[in-house]
Amino acid sequence: MRLIIGGAGQGKLSYALRTYHYTPENVAETFSAACTERIFDRFHAAVRAALEAGEDPQRLTEKLLEANPDVIILCDEVGCGVIPVQREERVWRETVGRLCCDLAEQAESVERVFCGLPMRLK
Amino acid sequence: MMTLVSGGAGSGKSAYAEALIVQSAAAPRVYLATMQAWGEEGRQRVERHRRLRAGKGFLTVEQPLNLTEVELPQGCAVLLEDLSNLTANECFGGVGFTGAEERILTGVDSLRAQAGELVVVTNEIFSDGVTYPPETARYLDVLAQLNRRLAAQANRVVEVAAGIPIFWKGENL
Repeated sequence: MRLIIGGAGQGKLSYALRTYHYTPENVAETFSAACTERIFDRFHAAVRAALEAGEDPQRLTEKLLEANPDVIILCDEVGCGVIPVQREERVWRETVGRLCCDLAEQAESVERVFCGLPMRLK
Repeated sequence: MMTLVSGGAGSGKSAYAEALIVQSAAAPRVYLATMQAWGEEGRQRVERHRRLRAGKGFLTVEQPLNLTEVELPQGCAVLLEDLSNLTANECFGGVGFTGAEERILTGVDSLRAQAGELVVVTNEIFSDGVTYPPETARYLDVLAQLNRRLAAQANRVVEVAAGIPIFWKGENL
């Protein structure tokens, strides 16, 4: 598994498609679809959807990695703003951050994309 | 030579960008200011930046919109501060969102054609996880695209954190 992080709009998906030679048909945006695709884009949004549906994103992530150990996961960094007033927003930010730490630990590579440019962190 | 300098608020990106201009052999030094100073806080910010530049021989040009109108001495060193502000001025004032991205890119192209050294300061405001109202989200999209397109053209791309430059493209001096 590979992890690619970065701020919103920084070009993570274009970078991943270009670098790992995939096309938009290889991209999933939900936990279930990501079990059989090469790239899981907008992981942060899937985590939000899971939380809203009362599901456990950590369990879903574990199941994903069992089903698809070579998946490339793309996630927005979402933790650099003011602490949100709403509890759900706080839980979501925190969950995304913690899951990224777990993923980074297990990942074969971790890259961060900034203004379209990659930097390998691991 | 074009350098894109980014970073968060108070990261030291302005001071770093200015040092790039001061170290450059290109002359004269031009500070291209995009900010329209509204209210006391705005005036204080402008004052702070003026003090930082004092004695370094910068010629200040104020241009909040329409970069293509700017005429500069050939071969000069230009500090454009900053892209996020200019983008806001173009998107929310002037002619608005339509064509804003291309207008700004054309403007930067015209600066590059005139300047020997160009340093563009932009902002890192994309990692807060906030869902903004559509107008703001659209502005963020335009700025993110500009950052990426200018980064692709630039010789150097530097992120400044706590005053420390991180090189995403190009080499340290």
